[in-house]
Amino acid sequence: MTTSTVLAAAGDVSGGEEITFWILAPLALIGAIGMVAARNAVHSALWLVLTMLCLGVFYVLQAGPFIGMVQIIVYTGAIMMLFLFVLMLVGRDASDSLIETLRGQRVAAIVLGLGFAGLVGGALYRAMDGTTAVGLEQANAEGNVQGIARLLFTKYVFAFELTSALLITAAVGAMVLAHIERRKQDKVDQPSTMRARFAPGNYPGPKPGPGVFATSSSVATPARLPDGRLTERSTPDILPVRELTAQETSLKGTDQ
Amino acid sequence: MTELKLPSLDYAALAPILIMLGAALVGVLVEAFVPRRSRHVVQLTLALLAVLAALTMVVLNADDRLITAGQAISVDGPTLFLQGAILVLAAMALLLIGDRSVERGGAFVAQAAVTAESADDRRQAEGRNGLTEIYPLTTFAIGGMLIFVAANDLLTMFIALEVFSLPLYLLCALARRRRLLSQEAAMKYFLLGAYASAFFLFGVALIYGFTSGIPGRGAGVDFSTINAAVTESPTSPVLLFAGMALLAIGLLFKAAAAPFHVWTPDVYQGAPTPVTGFMAACTKVAAFGALLRVFHVAFAGAAWDFTPVLGAVAVLTMLVGAVLAVTQTDIKRLLAYSSIANAGYLLVGVLSPSRDGLSGTMFYLVAYGFSVLAAFAVVTLVRDADGEATHLSRWAGLGRRSPFYAGLFTFILLAFAGIPLTSGFTSKFAIFGPALDGGQAWLVIAGVLTSMVLAFPYLRVVVMMWLSEPGESTPTVTVPGGLTSAALMIGVLATLVLGVAPAPLLDLATGAADFVR
Amino acid sequence: MSPSYLAQDPTLADFGRDPWWLVLIKIVFAFAFGLLATLLGVWFERRVVGYMQVRPGPNQVGPFGLLQTLADGLKMAFKEDILPKAADKVVYFFAPTISVICAVTALSVVPFGPMVSIFGHHTPLQVTDVPVAVLVLLACSSMGVYGIVLGGWASGSTYPLLGGLRSSAQMISYEVAMGLSIVAVFMTAGTMSTSGIVAQQGHGTELTIFGNSIPAPGWYAILLLPSFIIFFISTVGETNRAPFDLPEAESELVAGFMTEYSSLKFALFMLSEYVAMVTMSAVTTTLFLGGWRAPWPITIWEGANSGWWPMLWFFGKVIALVFVFVWLRGTLPRLRYDQFMRFGWKVLLPINLVWILVLSGLRSIEDWDSRGKLIAVGIPAGILLVATLFWPNRRPQPKPTTQEQVDNRPYGSFPLPPMDLQVPPSPRITRVVAEREPANIATGSDSREV
Repeated sequence: MTTSTVLAAAGDVSGGEEITFWILAPLALIGAIGMVAARNAVHSALWLVLTMLCLGVFYVLQAGPFIGMVQIIVYTGAIMMLFLFVLMLVGRDASDSLIETLRGQRVAAIVLGLGFAGLVGGALYRAMDGTTAVGLEQANAEGNVQGIARLLFTKYVFAFELTSALLITAAVGAMVLAHIERRKQDKVDQPSTMRARFAPGNYPGPKPGPGVFATSSSVATPARLPDGRLTERSTPDILPVRELTAQETSLKGTDQ
Repeated sequence: MTELKLPSLDYAALAPILIMLGAALVGVLVEAFVPRRSRHVVQLTLALLAVLAALTMVVLNADDRLITAGQAISVDGPTLFLQGAILVLAAMALLLIGDRSVERGGAFVAQAAVTAESADDRRQAEGRNGLTEIYPLTTFAIGGMLIFVAANDLLTMFIALEVFSLPLYLLCALARRRRLLSQEAAMKYFLLGAYASAFFLFGVALIYGFTSGIPGRGAGVDFSTINAAVTESPTSPVLLFAGMALLAIGLLFKAAAAPFHVWTPDVYQGAPTPVTGFMAACTKVAAFGALLRVFHVAFAGAAWDFTPVLGAVAVLTMLVGAVLAVTQTDIKRLLAYSSIANAGYLLVGVLSPSRDGLSGTMFYLVAYGFSVLAAFAVVTLVRDADGEATHLSRWAGLGRRSPFYAGLFTFILLAFAGIPLTSGFTSKFAIFGPALDGGQAWLVIAGVLTSMVLAFPYLRVVVMMWLSEPGESTPTVTVPGGLTSAALMIGVLATLVLGVAPAPLLDLATGAADFVR
Repeated sequence: MSPSYLAQDPTLADFGRDPWWLVLIKIVFAFAFGLLATLLGVWFERRVVGYMQVRPGPNQVGPFGLLQTLADGLKMAFKEDILPKAADKVVYFFAPTISVICAVTALSVVPFGPMVSIFGHHTPLQVTDVPVAVLVLLACSSMGVYGIVLGGWASGSTYPLLGGLRSSAQMISYEVAMGLSIVAVFMTAGTMSTSGIVAQQGHGTELTIFGNSIPAPGWYAILLLPSFIIFFISTVGETNRAPFDLPEAESELVAGFMTEYSSLKFALFMLSEYVAMVTMSAVTTTLFLGGWRAPWPITIWEGANSGWWPMLWFFGKVIALVFVFVWLRGTLPRLRYDQFMRFGWKVLLPINLVWILVLSGLRSIEDWDSRGKLIAVGIPAGILLVATLFWPNRRPQPKPTTQEQVDNRPYGSFPLPPMDLQVPPSPRITRVVAEREPANIATGSDSREV
């Protein structure tokens, strides 16, 4: 038993617990609000990390060290990290569009959200007022981890085993939605690339560079071959074909 | 540390669940080890055999009335009846899912990760065989539903909810045609479903807190504890009401009751049609099975408190479903709103406290499941070069072009409308009768009025099919292969038989209509 | 084992009773240990790598160059602190701090020794211990990733971002393998508290072979050898050390996530890397190498595991492990990123899972007699081995000869020189060859050796 376990098991709120709560609870709230309010997606995620860390400490404080540590390892350590991973891959400047598709939606959401929070919070406050916590000592009698293990492997063993079905579904789903299976004939190895490069009808040499600076400063300008023809091969395929104005095609006075 | 003792598991009673989950696991292995060309046949056979085996076990267990796996699973009349219903309907849905004759390669995309609308995507839409992972996913979903109707504590119920929802989210995203619509549907379903699950979980927590105060008994979320707490607990009932409301939100979301119905039209429209049929039939059975158990077993003592609220939800659901169905121009959305309205009728059944109300609800679930699956089977058949032609204007004059299928569809629509000699009439009768006896006349009046409103869109489709001239754009009806025909015929025949001779099934339902507590 | 010997093992009840000043002393000690270990660790690494590369290494500042790191640290503090324009200022500032805090915090649950007496207080040589101490360690290492990832992201530049992303993927992957190998320790020790795990490793099992009972060592490195190997490999991945130092691969990413950092912030990253290395060595020692317990020959002396002596054994083991870290860096080339990921997910993870399965199987059949155990394990393992050895693999297609490949080329292909082309020697080469006489090194008689 650590100090906090002993204190929490005593049933009443101790000084240390109260102080920790009053420091971390506002932090958790600020984190939650910051997560919603932050413009930058990565900042949002970081605020959420703060809230989750505070929750983890709360669990430890309430004599559930196992669930507290698991909260930190799994949620903040793994899940939020994956979140950040995706956000960073998407790009740091990708911020949400601020256009409301439904007018007044945001105001309505805030009002309803606050109303719901007030309703649930008020109801809980009224219901819990004067309630004394019971059962912690029995639950942690053999130690916190052992207590959880006992519940998982006796009373809730069926539900526990059932979660494996969830995990398998999730794995299959991830494969189905994200994995592109390349067929054998689609796989190109180095020899076949070379064969295709030297196949009849394909010019194996490097493509000519674009005609930048010859007549214009655009990379969309085709290069002029030694025989005077323009070659389309010199411009990238993804660039749109653009009609050049007379001014653009005229000589820039650099030829004198 | 004292020894841990595993609770006794009655494997025979759990067999249907274990068979379905086991088949799903085998299905995942089949994906890994069986060559691609024979996977479809193997998977479909495996899934159908598993459903058949599970159904056999349900029939063999017919007389079981017990609670097993600790307090987690109760096997009793309603469980077995609803499990049987889910399995039969799931077998029909599997026939639809497995059909590859209507569309080359089936209704599912070949590679879901290929960017929608890209060149690769167009190539694969042309005829590459669809994914075969859908079979293990469907089997998992069926297994989850079997547990959902049998769950005897809220935690098991929650996990069962996830077990059958997660595969459904995935299946919704796998349509072969109109993939963006399909992916959007899956996304909406997933986000809203996750929200509903969160509400459910919050409710479970509050209920757990509520049960903690019973003298001489530990806290718990199994239904007998909750039932005892409702009558005995000295804790403030605010916890009970808040918990009950949040639980109801989670369950009503799955049942597609207003105001938690907004996902339904979008998801029904976007999902591959066989999956839509599966959801409309089986998810509804599972969701109402759980609602029945939660409100008749766990919260039975609080009936006075929840009946007015749920009654209001029922009326609202009927109204929303019926009124919005009138304005729809897409056949799948029309059926979605009709399913919302039907959820309202079913809620009337849930609110009848008598044994007849329970049996009527179960009968309604089965009858509606058969009809709706047949309806979606017809929807898969009406198609043009771009896939299914679901816009209602395209259905004009269909009766002239293919009178047989138009006739079948008309029959199903009439059943939905509740015309006598169809299952729609008998099932509405089975639900509204006990409600009248139970003193819920206002619900019955609302039900009858909305039924009349709802008949209008159905009849409009009928009129459109038969009394308009077929135009240039009227699609042909594909002649279905064996699987779809079988599903369609089973659905239509069941609709007819349950309309003409409902007595055997009603008797069965009445015989099964008592919960083990 | 004598009773007095056992009494030295702290239990969870021994924690949380110290007066505040004693707690403060312990915390300061653990922190100082981390800093000092960094100072000496950098010097140690440079000297050892220098020795391996046959060069002296730092040897000018102080005796044996011991103060070189201190001098470097001072130099770093006086360098210009650069804040890139595109940086996300707050996150950029906090990232190195997160790294250091997480690395140092992990030291708080590492047991340095048994119960000792400090100023009359009987107290364990460990800052604190909780029932889930090992999870605290895991939490610290998983939070440590944030420092690196955020540092990479907040720099607002490409190479650091890539480095940060690599490291997050790397750490998540290797944390899975690491967590799974600790599972075997939990299963064997039956506890998650570090002091408990060390105490469990003191009880060696008695092996009975041919009638003689031999006391087998209780170290989990021997009992759970696969777990130990996987754990150590993952710690190398987790601390971003060579050969897994992909986030800072200088040949690909300049300096990875630290590219934009300079001055003290860079020093903090440096510090966190070395503290993490020492922490991980300490954790490995605790979990697998018997913690502060004396190794075998010393245990013959009765008092080896009591008083302040165990701290010596502990530091000895930690230094040995740090040496292995340095040794790896000195000898192994860096892995390619995909090889590294494949290694983590397709090798370490499956082996770990199978091993845990085997272990739990073994533990659940403990009440069988040993012959039954041998048969139950040996026969399936043998079958598996034989099956993998003699699994028929597909016969490879006969490869067409070069001439066949040339003949099969479609008409109009790019012209090829004839296959039997004799290239005439260049006249210039012949001249050079003619002027130079063949070197004859073997005999050594020719004085005009090239």
